[in-house]
Amino acid sequence: MSAAGRTLMALAVLLGGVCQQDCWGQIDSQSAEYQIKAAFLYKFSDYIEWPPEAFSGTNGALVIGVLGADVLADELARIVGSRAVGGRPVSVRKLRPGDAVAGLQVLFIGRSEVNRLSDLLGATKGRAVLTVTESAPTVPAASVINFVVIDDKVRFDISLEPAEQGNLKISSRLLSVARKVIGRPS
Amino acid sequence: MVIGCSRYRVTVAVTAFLGATLPAPALAQQVLASNLADLSLEELTNIEITSVSKHAERLSDASASVFVITAEDIRRSGATSLTEALRLAPNLQVAQVNASGYAISARGFNNTSANKLLVLIDGRSVYSPLFAGVFWDVQNVMLEDVERIEVISGPGGTLWGTNAVNGVINVITRSTQDTQGALAAAGRGSRESDAALRYGGTMGTDGSYRVYGTYLDRGHTSTANGSEVNDAWHNGQVGFRADWNRPGDQFTALANAYRGQLSQPEPGELVITFEPAPALGNVTTSGENLTARWSHTLQSGGNFSAQTYYDRTERTVPPLFSESLDIFDLQLQHSLQPLGIHTPVWGAQFRYDMDHTTNSDRVALLPASVNQKWASLFGQDEVALSKDLRATLGIRVERNDYTGYEFLPSARLAWKFTSDNLLWTAASRTVRAPSRLDRDTFAPGKPPFVLAGGRDLRSEVANVYEVGFRGQLAARFSCSITAFHADYDFLRTEALTPSRTAVVFSNDMQGRTSGVETWGTYQAASFWRLSAGFTRLSENLHLKPGGVDTQAPLAEGLDPAQSWMLRSSLDLPYQSELDAMARHVSALSNPSVPAYLALDLRAAWKPNKQLELSISGQNLFGSGHGEFTSVLTRSEFGPSVFFKILGEFR
Repeated sequence: MSAAGRTLMALAVLLGGVCQQDCWGQIDSQSAEYQIKAAFLYKFSDYIEWPPEAFSGTNGALVIGVLGADVLADELARIVGSRAVGGRPVSVRKLRPGDAVAGLQVLFIGRSEVNRLSDLLGATKGRAVLTVTESAPTVPAASVINFVVIDDKVRFDISLEPAEQGNLKISSRLLSVARKVIGRPS
Repeated sequence: MVIGCSRYRVTVAVTAFLGATLPAPALAQQVLASNLADLSLEELTNIEITSVSKHAERLSDASASVFVITAEDIRRSGATSLTEALRLAPNLQVAQVNASGYAISARGFNNTSANKLLVLIDGRSVYSPLFAGVFWDVQNVMLEDVERIEVISGPGGTLWGTNAVNGVINVITRSTQDTQGALAAAGRGSRESDAALRYGGTMGTDGSYRVYGTYLDRGHTSTANGSEVNDAWHNGQVGFRADWNRPGDQFTALANAYRGQLSQPEPGELVITFEPAPALGNVTTSGENLTARWSHTLQSGGNFSAQTYYDRTERTVPPLFSESLDIFDLQLQHSLQPLGIHTPVWGAQFRYDMDHTTNSDRVALLPASVNQKWASLFGQDEVALSKDLRATLGIRVERNDYTGYEFLPSARLAWKFTSDNLLWTAASRTVRAPSRLDRDTFAPGKPPFVLAGGRDLRSEVANVYEVGFRGQLAARFSCSITAFHADYDFLRTEALTPSRTAVVFSNDMQGRTSGVETWGTYQAASFWRLSAGFTRLSENLHLKPGGVDTQAPLAEGLDPAQSWMLRSSLDLPYQSELDAMARHVSALSNPSVPAYLALDLRAAWKPNKQLELSISGQNLFGSGHGEFTSVLTRSEFGPSVFFKILGEFR
């Protein structure tokens, strides 16, 4: 074996040896999915216009509440924390069942809370809250945005009616990326 | 030596594969390691969840030394040109020669005419078939609209064709859906000033577009002894892009046009040792290109894509030379639905160019006008050997007019031993086919010739072996390390004709390189990110028996043995941010360039969502340094400052 061949072998063995120490954190596919959803949640706010009264004061924070998906909340906090969001500070709030939804501009309801979904959406109805859920694609969602996983990719549907009830304006950009827009006048 | 190729520079394109062909999952891994939130909405919808977990469908595509420069990296670097932005990639060597001149390479063989690196901008190859290198002074993009730059060090011949010997740079601009609204930016500094304008809108329900214009003006530089280098440069460019998205179909059309001018510093773009030295005029550059791309999801679950472009470039280098080059390029790719454990991809490419040169009595490309064609076919199969282990076997067969058929096989093996840690190894054969410079250069312009081309020149060949690891070693720390070894044969040299009256190009040199490329990112806090990179290279060139060009092996002195960089990105209160980058490059020996340490800083403030104000300082450490070529002619870069104001209105 040539000297170079020996060097490569040595490196392969060395790296292999290091890698056998199973000391690193793993990302399972669910957390990967939540990483992507967190990035979406962060970006959605760029394409939504809330009525001015939805915020406390002109420079009031945008508050994203996350219920039933702590992995997502952690990831979102990491995204939000590492960047300045123009004009408006953003904060992420981990919610527990029963927490009030007042003061939120975005509410994400994880699939573990599916049983309480209709109650929660009822509580936000007519408020300027961007509700985001992850129900099965076949279930007509009462939230503004519903994540669906299609072909191993995270997509989302938008329902215009709850958005209008909350006086939220959704940019056409966001609508164009949605898988389906429910309630669009054709 | 009659022609010092180190400064021979001229224009345009090549033999590449679809620029966007580095399959998305390869990036997904990188991107996740950096930041999903930097992606566009469309890209987020296209990330495969499993590509970052255990069932990555196309894992082996990532089994290469890939560094991704993100849009955020570029913005926070304060770079004013594509060439400066490339300094962010630890696996590239970027050396600035003068105001517009750069020597950029991966894994050695650096030169202003570096000929082993393939560069694509939005799928269009900008590697010139004239001299097998890149005219960096005409490769301008609106940096604000760049999505990312993928930098692959190492061989890419199977996917990208001959000439992707030591690396591939893939510049990808944003979809027009992500560049809606108006953007205006203007900058002014001690070395340069620039301006950029862009407007993006929608067309109907499925389409969107943008139009843009950029202008860059760099003043002349100076040598170490303070004498002025005649290298002032300016370039203006306009262009448009349109995208249509329908379920299953994506269509993109884009076009660019530019005009530029640069003063020609001594010893001139063509280094020719004739006496008396000719008076050098201003170099003028211009170009227009148009690209169309269609991607279709097949009913069967596979994907079909087609891309075509036309690229025209003109360059006048008075008094010696001018060139106009027209290139037509067509590429097709078909990715099949997985068949059992196999996931095949195949594709074809055809290219035709018409190159016209105007010669002088001092130097000539003969014949002055040449039409050339290239055709290639490639196939690649990914085999899932087990849940975690994938092999990728591929081959490209490419035909060119000079050397006929070339074979570019590669074999890769990737082992994803945990969900986010990948160990890979690869063996590849790559080829650099001769360019017109190698075959057709004659001097003087009429017989008797002192330099008589290289009619018998064959392709340079490299066999490359790599092993690498990429992964997330801790929640906040990700890294990549690659070790490589390459054996080169038939490297270009010069030789004497049997009559010993003239010099011809020949293939009398062999070489070996080996080295390590490594980089990592540490998210020290939610507001503070640290990145570091390090490369080490050992390069050994030697003449084959019978070779007489004793100068040729000295080219190994153009590459630094090692380099490192350290970057810090800090978010501060009041929507402000502070970035610092230090980079160190060890000494070059031929010609001698001392080792240097350069420190760049940038501070920015966003008073509101529309406006960003920034100030950057470059080379703040010490009195200045040179990066390439002889101390007598090279530019020396001392401290400089640059102010920029950017407004974005949706």
